[in-house]
Amino acid sequence: MRKSVAKAPKKRRLKQQRGAGNAIFDVMNVTAFVVFTLLCIFPFYYLFINTISDNELVSRGAVTIFPIGINISNYIALKDVNDLANAFLVTVTRTILGTGLMVIASGLAGYLVTKRALWHRSFWYRAIVITMYFNAGLIPWYLNMMMLGLTNSYLAYIIPAIIAPFNIILVKTYIESIPKELEESAIIDGATTLVIFRKIIWPLSKPILATIAIFGAVGNWNSFQDSLILMKGAPELYTLQHRLYVYLQKSSDLKAVMGGGAGTAMVLENALNAKVVKYTISMATIIPIMLIYPFMQRYFVKGIMLGAVKG
Amino acid sequence: MKEVNNNLKKAKTPKIHMTSSLILYGAVRVLSLCAFIFMFFADLNPGRISLWINKNISLFTTGISFSDLTTRFAALFRQGVVDRSTFELLSIASTMVIIGIIACCIGACMSMGNNRMKSRGIWLPLAGSVTMIAGLAGIYLSYSQLSAVAERVQVNFPSGFYWYAALAILIFVITVIILVFKRPAAVEKKMAMPEKYSLFLMLLPILLLTFVFCYLPLWGWRYAFYDYTAGETLSADKFVGFEWFSMLFTNSATINDVTRVLTNTFAMSGLGILVSWVPMVFAVFLNEIRSTRFKRIVQTLTTIPNFISWVLIYAIALAIFNSEGLFNSVLSLFGVTSSTNWLMNADNIWIKMLLWGMWKGLGWSAIIYIAAITGIDPQLYEAATIDGAGRFQRMWYITLPSLLPTYLVLLLLTVAGFLSNGLEQYLVFQNANNKDVIEVLDLYVFNIGIDGGRIPLSTVIGMAKSLISIALLFLVNKVSKIIRGESII
Repeated sequence: MRKSVAKAPKKRRLKQQRGAGNAIFDVMNVTAFVVFTLLCIFPFYYLFINTISDNELVSRGAVTIFPIGINISNYIALKDVNDLANAFLVTVTRTILGTGLMVIASGLAGYLVTKRALWHRSFWYRAIVITMYFNAGLIPWYLNMMMLGLTNSYLAYIIPAIIAPFNIILVKTYIESIPKELEESAIIDGATTLVIFRKIIWPLSKPILATIAIFGAVGNWNSFQDSLILMKGAPELYTLQHRLYVYLQKSSDLKAVMGGGAGTAMVLENALNAKVVKYTISMATIIPIMLIYPFMQRYFVKGIMLGAVKG
Repeated sequence: MKEVNNNLKKAKTPKIHMTSSLILYGAVRVLSLCAFIFMFFADLNPGRISLWINKNISLFTTGISFSDLTTRFAALFRQGVVDRSTFELLSIASTMVIIGIIACCIGACMSMGNNRMKSRGIWLPLAGSVTMIAGLAGIYLSYSQLSAVAERVQVNFPSGFYWYAALAILIFVITVIILVFKRPAAVEKKMAMPEKYSLFLMLLPILLLTFVFCYLPLWGWRYAFYDYTAGETLSADKFVGFEWFSMLFTNSATINDVTRVLTNTFAMSGLGILVSWVPMVFAVFLNEIRSTRFKRIVQTLTTIPNFISWVLIYAIALAIFNSEGLFNSVLSLFGVTSSTNWLMNADNIWIKMLLWGMWKGLGWSAIIYIAAITGIDPQLYEAATIDGAGRFQRMWYITLPSLLPTYLVLLLLTVAGFLSNGLEQYLVFQNANNKDVIEVLDLYVFNIGIDGGRIPLSTVIGMAKSLISIALLFLVNKVSKIIRGESII
């Protein structure tokens, strides 16, 4: 506000130009946003038309804006790619299980830390929250997982993901906004903590639980680091993203081709066009996210704003 | 602990006795908790009576999964070298230890209730510790059976056995003492527990998981003081003190590496901070568009890339920038024939990474500002308009200042995360050509630690990073307290 006083003389000059300036600004503004928006979605479209076009043309770089020679043979060819069905199964089950357990745990933890009666409440809450900002580092984490016997084990996808401090904060913040009277009347009726949680808190916090469920599901679906680091000796437990990463690296890194395992490489190399198969796998991995995207969208802002309360 | 005293209603024993009974119950609780956590430690598996048993399985797995326990023994069973019953005994004995531990834990939980619950619950650790001892005896029996073929299967007496034996005996002794001297009279009619403890017990599983996955890794910092190569076990003679730390400052190859990696990290984080205002401006300009529908579409579509993983983004980048990709096709329209695979090109990689990062995150980062703009009081705009402020002045003097607090918080958090660029983006874009300029600290730790197997050095670097990061966080928190009057964490 102090600034506006200091710069007062400038005001008048701007005001005189307003009419024309406004219009030019509007046009430029809209154009800029249109361009950026196209920039955001065109790559996905481009990848998609590559997968449904004639492979011969794709390999010559002829497909640019419109698909040519539309066919879905690439998608049908996916069933012949080794390990893909397995990776898909691993990813889907971990997404469902991991997200489900995470939502239940975050819901319960978020509820319990709102209870003033909890023994040393703020200490435990802080102990959970501080792990968001501080961690021991990648290698100690890996050694810890090894010590717990969670390398090359499916459980490594599920158990560590149960704890999500940020989601606990979100749920806690949300539950604090629910009127206390509802809970109190239930206590008078003799309901126990778990019954209150199940019958009152859980249904009332559905919006926030849906939010964290969606974020958790996307996170699980996209997860790749844990598979990469922990599953070195168990290719059958690779997630979809990890499998795709392995495929993508096959041609772009000479070293990987030399040292890579024979089994999966063979199928790709023998395929009519390994490159397009890779694109097709990528597209097949993107599509589920695109499908749930319309549902997630309305939860974005809520999640972000609640999170912003705590930085 | 004082509160527990008050909860022992009608207890007539003198205060000194109360304290001693508290210590005894506390000991049972702590010991049971230890046993419970140990159960999931592969290092402390008392059932690993042969080095052929997978060293990554814990007592819990030993007890519940016979197939995991005997993965390498199938052939030996067939040849008759090892008797199958030995391992069945081992498996059953391990299950007994697990059941014993769980009984102890339930008893320990019940000891937090009222006198009636306490006096009932105390039988559980007694039974549990006896079961544990019986199970351990079973393990010992199978160990002595297996000793007959010691050479073939590398029979080994697991060090974890002593830990469990000690825990079981201690729990047993303490429980007996409690039963004989301190067992409270069951004066209440019903079993009950003070609310604060029942709530705590419900939270306990989550706290345990947090401890095991977030705090326990700190124990791995000890590797920084040992000369350790992956796959070995730590032993005292491998202790090297601060050698790895001094190596960071004396070994010229390491110094070169670390300097290079830090340059990359600082460059990319620095660039990130330089453009950190862009999402805010994005939101301010988007707000100037009148059509709500257009705004919503832009917001929706620009957020999509945020939900796509870096691996998939790399796939897209490959489609566009490979030698036959869109980028080269577009270039040929302008008469430039090129068959470069642009992803292999290391020029300006910092800028490229920044642009990819912005492409992925800009729309998403703008959401928080868009939400903040809707929270601005419309009266401010009205008043400004009446005072003769034009559109740009309103943007400059009202919208932007209203967003600055949010921007400041996010900027401070970005500064706190200066050393943490993340791993995935740089990992997927990394190749032989650009490795020198793309390797940020996180990627470097991954490359030398996980891929290169240089555990101690990467632990040292990770330690330094964690400590600097937490120091930075406290610093920016202090800064925030000074300039905004409130903390950000």
